[in-house]
Parts: sequence; C-alpha cells; structure tokens
Amino acid sequence: MGGPDGAAGSETPEGSGDPPKSSGDPPGLPRDYELSGKVMLLGDSGVGKTCFLLQFKDGAFLSGTFIATVGIDFRNKVVAVDGVKVKLQIWDTAGQERFRSVTHAYYRDAQALLLLYDITSKMSFDNIRAWLTEIHEYAQKDVVIMLLGNKADVSSERAVRTEDGASLAREYGVPFMETSAKTGMNVELAFLAIAKELKQRAVQPLDEPHFQIHDYIESQKQKSSCCAFS
Amino acid sequence: MAADVHKKKSWEVSNGSLVPGDGQHTERSESPTPGLAQGTEPGAGQEGAMFVHTRSYEDLTSPEDGAAAVRSPEERRGEPAEQSSMEQISKDFSELSTQLTGMALDLDEEMRAGKEGKLEPSPQTTRRDSVLSGKEEEDVTMDAWRLHRKHVFVLSEAGKPVYSRYGSEEALSSTMGVMMALVSFLEAEKNAIRSIHADGYKVVFVRRSPLVLVAVARTRQSEQEIAHELLYIYYQILSLLTWTQLNHIFQQKQNYDLRRLLAGSERITDNLLDLMAHDPSFLMGAVRCLPLAASVRDAVSSSLQQAKAKSLVFSILLSGNQLVSLVRKKDQFLHPIDLHLLFNLISSSSSFREGEAWTPICLPKFNSSGFFHAHISYLEQEMDLCLLLVSTDREDFFTVSDCKRRFQERLRRRGVQHALHEALRTPFYSVAQVGIPDLRHFIYKSKSSGLFTSPEIEAPYVQEEEKERLLGLYQYLHSRAHNSSRPLKNIYFTGPRENLLAWVTNAFELYVCYSPLGTKAGAINAVNKLMKWIRKEEDRLFILTPQTY
Repeated sequence: MGGPDGAAGSETPEGSGDPPKSSGDPPGLPRDYELSGKVMLLGDSGVGKTCFLLQFKDGAFLSGTFIATVGIDFRNKVVAVDGVKVKLQIWDTAGQERFRSVTHAYYRDAQALLLLYDITSKMSFDNIRAWLTEIHEYAQKDVVIMLLGNKADVSSERAVRTEDGASLAREYGVPFMETSAKTGMNVELAFLAIAKELKQRAVQPLDEPHFQIHDYIESQKQKSSCCAFS
Repeated sequence: MAADVHKKKSWEVSNGSLVPGDGQHTERSESPTPGLAQGTEPGAGQEGAMFVHTRSYEDLTSPEDGAAAVRSPEERRGEPAEQSSMEQISKDFSELSTQLTGMALDLDEEMRAGKEGKLEPSPQTTRRDSVLSGKEEEDVTMDAWRLHRKHVFVLSEAGKPVYSRYGSEEALSSTMGVMMALVSFLEAEKNAIRSIHADGYKVVFVRRSPLVLVAVARTRQSEQEIAHELLYIYYQILSLLTWTQLNHIFQQKQNYDLRRLLAGSERITDNLLDLMAHDPSFLMGAVRCLPLAASVRDAVSSSLQQAKAKSLVFSILLSGNQLVSLVRKKDQFLHPIDLHLLFNLISSSSSFREGEAWTPICLPKFNSSGFFHAHISYLEQEMDLCLLLVSTDREDFFTVSDCKRRFQERLRRRGVQHALHEALRTPFYSVAQVGIPDLRHFIYKSKSSGLFTSPEIEAPYVQEEEKERLLGLYQYLHSRAHNSSRPLKNIYFTGPRENLLAWVTNAFELYVCYSPLGTKAGAINAVNKLMKWIRKEEDRLFILTPQTY
C-alpha cells in the first residue's frame, strides 16, 4: 500500500485537520488545494496518453517524434470545480506490455481511470476490452472510468467509428467521448468531469442525489465530425 | 575475405550477478610506481569504494568472454619471452606510430568526404518512432545506409530481428538471417565465429544465448572494444527484461518476436550507441564526478543519506553524465556498467524533466534476475540535476517520493543549494587550470575507486568530428595498453597533430594529449606535474568518502 499519501481523496489529504474550504484559499495556507484525487491514464502504446496529459497540463501539443513513456510518470495539476480546488495527481502510464506489472500495482490506488484508444488504430480499440477486463480485476470497485477515443482531429485516417466507441461504452456503462490532444477538444472536459465527480464523492454522502458524470459529459462534449474545428 | 575464427572455450553465460568484492586484488604484481600502490593513488577513496571492484578493462570483458584472454599456442610461441625488452618496445612504437598516422589520415579523408558529400546524416535526424509520419526508417538499399560507420544488429537464435541501429528490422530480416547462418555454420563444427575482417570493415559477433549481437564497423576500434560495446547493448536489453525473463521467453517459444517486449526502447539503445561514441566513461569502465567542493559534496551526500527508506538500495544524484553523489546500502555495491546504463536511461528521454517517473529496471551486473524500481526526477526544472532513487519494492512509490521531498528539504536547510547551482554552471574544468602549456587534454582513472577525471575538451578539438577523433586516439591507446596478448604499460607517440602518452599501472591509468610541439622529456615532466595537480585537487574531482545509509 502507498505511503503517507494513502489517504488522498478524503477531505484532508495530508492530515492537516482543517475542514475543506468552500472558497478561495486564505493567504498563507500551506497547500493550495482542498481535495486531491488520483487519475490514471491507460491504453495501448502510442494512443496519445502523454500528449493528452500535456495538453491538459500545459495547453501545448507535443508534436514531432514519439517518446515512449518509461514506467509511470506522476504529475500534479490543481483545478477549480465550483470554487473548490481539486489537486489531480495524474499517473501517465507506459502502454508497453513490459510495464504492465508496474501499472497493475497502482490500479487500486486510483480513483479515476481515463482509458484511451486511437481512432485511427483499430487494434488499439480492439484492445479496450482487454483493458477493461484488467481494470475490473485490479482497480477499486467504485473507480470512475471514462472511455476516450483520441486523435479525433485526424478524421481522414479514422478506423474506428464514433458509434462503435459509444456502443462499447454503453455496454460497460462508462461515459464516452472523442478527444483530440492536438486541438484540445474535450481534453479539459475529461479531467474536469473527473474532478467534479471526485469532489462530489468527497463532499457529499453517497446516498444524496449527486452529480451525474454521464449527463455532464453528454451535455458538455463537443462532437467530432468531418468539419470539427476547435 | 578472411574469417577470423577461434575455438570457443565455453558458451555458458554468467548470470551477471557479481558478488561484491568478488575476486578483487587478485594477481597484483608489485607496483611499478612506488608510493602509488592501488588504493593510494590520487582519487582513491578513503573509506572503501562505491563500486564493485573492477580490476581493469579486462575485468569487464574477460569474464564474459572467457576465450579472449586465452591465446593459442602458436601466438604464445611467437611472443618474445621478455615483453619489456627495449627491442620489443621500439617495435611496438613504430608499429603504433604508423597505425596512428594512418588513422589520422583516414579520419581526415572521411571528414572531408563527410563535409562535401554529406554522406552521414547525423544520428538525430534519422531517429525512428515518428508516429506522425509513420515509420520513417532509412531505406536499407540506399548507399547512405551502407555508409554508416557502425551498424549494430541484434537477433534471436531463430534469426529473428530484435534491433537494428539504422533501418527497419523487417527490411533487414534476410540480412540477419545470413548472420545467423554464419553463426550456426561454424557452431555445427563445434566452433565459433568471432569476427570477420574485410575491406576496412570489422564484423564482430557476440553471442549471448538466446541473443546474437553483431556490429559492422569501419571505425579504428579493436575487435575487443567493439565486442565490449556489443556487451553493453546486451546489458541494456537485460536492464529492460532481466536475464531470467529473456531466457524464459525463448525457452517457451523459440521464434518469439522480442520487439514486442522491447517496443519503445529503441531510443534508449540508439542513445547508448551514440553516447559510447562520445563519452570516455564507457571506454574507461569508470564514472566521472561533477567537480564540486568537498564540503558541498559532503553536505549533499549526508542529506541524501538521511533521506533514506527501508526499501532503498541506492540514492544517486547526477548531472549530465557526471556523478554528484552516490549513497548505497551497506554491503551493496553498484557496478560501473549498471551506473552507465542508468545514466543512459536518463539521458535518452526528455520525459523525466517533469513530474516523477517510476519504472522497473534491472541492473544486470548487480543481479540479472530481478527488477529494481527506480524513482527518477529532476530537482528543479531548469537545473540539470537528476535524482535517482533505486528501491526494491514495486509498491513503494509514495515512500520513495517522500524521500525526495525530505532530501530537498535537508538541502535547503543546509543551505548548499546556492553552491550546488554555482557548481552546475561550470560542470567541466579547463585544462588551463593545471598550468602546463603543452597539455591539451587528459583522462586519469583511479582504479581502486572506479572514478576518472578529465577536463573539458577544448580547442583545437572544437568540431564534433574532432572530438570524436580525440576519443578515437584514446580508444586506440587504450586498446594497445589492454591488448590481451601484448599489453603495454607506457606508450609515447609523436604525431603530426598531437603527441600522446599512455601510462597504465596497477593503481591508475593516465592518457594524455599534448600539443605536437613539445618534447618527450617535457611530456614526462608534465606527467609528474599533472599527477601532483590531480592529487591537490582530488577532493574536488573525486568522491573520496562514499556514504552508506
């Protein structure tokens, strides 16, 4: 089990004892967030997980050569949802087979999983079922999963129809959207939806009516079409 | 074409796990330099070494390549009984001088050709892995492909391609088939192919079951050195898979396509090959330290030492490819080869610059059967200071990450950050500091500590090609000094462009490059002065008091 950070995700991730603040931080607060959650990026090698993360973190697209991630990369970003600052600890994983055993070890600590495939690669889509099986085996039961069809900007090389992605997502009961790490389409939305969901879980007891991630995604997402410029 | 075929003594692969202290201090003859016995030379650690004791370059190659040191009886008979007879030495020198001159001329021509015809695309422009444009591999039927100075191929015993430095493995599968056929053909006769020398090329074979590694080189390196580089590639592959897993896979399925498991690692192997052509660390089998005031280094080391965790085995701080500090668990020693592989891993990817990476890694010389888990991060983004925490526990990320935080806190509290920043601004020292006018460059290695020091390469070795030529000269001196059948202790060579000196003792190795205008007497004087200077600066240039947790 993880070390001192193991309690992350509760209201007081670092044991400060302070109740979560409802608005901005007063000056001098030792940390600049009130909640934290662990998000893991999964999917085959080369589907664009690292680019997806960089687009969200820095608003930049890493073009040019492909650099395979080594092992797992841990990065943080603080986002504000409804006035609450949520620190997302994002784990960018290597898609290669030889790193599977390391990633498995970290599944159960994750509160949310972003599962990516590449819409120009049928293979990466076909492997999604295997990924989902693995997730069910290793991850927590209440983990938030989101299926993302990345590289939606390259519609000329599309190999997976949007409907296929959507119907697979329905089958497994997970939200779905197509994204583009290059144009930024739906990238921030994916992380924000997760932050909202995590905030909801942390702040409210589970039996209260709460935030519906499916509905939120459906209402907010940009549809990719042949003429989607964003 | 003459095939250079030797009888192979044994095929067994040592499992690579060197028991610390294994075989050290064996066969030590009396030191030729009184007062400089091993352990007392400049740069020798005061409280034992950080590394597994590598006696010398031979130590890195011979146990792997048992047959290399064994000479055939014919060779033995032809050898003069007294190796150090004056006659023999002068013969060696004349031999050496013609070869060195030859090399200089050849390189000259190559450089001219390179400039005019642009025959050699720089390695950076031919990188693979481009996802955007599909596979931008070189066309292996083109002349440009043939003109690369050193090709490296890795294949499985079934003849399946595993890695090729240039061009796609698929396009080369028939070439690799031929290589495997050559290996098998000789093996059928209970023999082994080691190298083919033809037309200015050396084709060197290294067999490490279940892999075969082949280099096709037209560099001036000796066969032994090329084989040494191939071994590094082999260890690089082991560091990704472990020896156990590699063997298991091929026992299960002989025709397994290993590229599947190695996907994404081509860049790391490419980088290792490029690094070996530029960095003398690999040739010396030693590690270079960042020049740093002893007080600062001690503060860094004890901060590192205090930020420990149960699962930590090594804490390593490095800058560029230079070591800043290394703290290890008691009784656990790192092998320079393993450290080189870690250096290479870090320099081959820019993705460690941000965030914290956590990756399994096998240190094949330490233990080739299992993975360590390495936490890799840069201390500050703009600063070239990378922290590597090597843990035994896959699930210990958060604990180890906390060690990093504690280390940084202690650095801050000790107030050494400023001094560290300053030191990083001049990661190399100038040879002018030594104060010897004719001295252009040198490499000094302390054998007992496994550390070496070397100034910045300055004019006239400004161009990349010139730097490579200088390293080529050192490679040549090194190969003469470590020739398995006729090792030399002293070499002095007067060339048209520089004078060179090599001095190898049981305690240290020294390679010096002088301006061509100096005399031999001057050069020997300079060596004494240089040794005194290194002694004076040793606490800045070396890590004399290695720490343990």
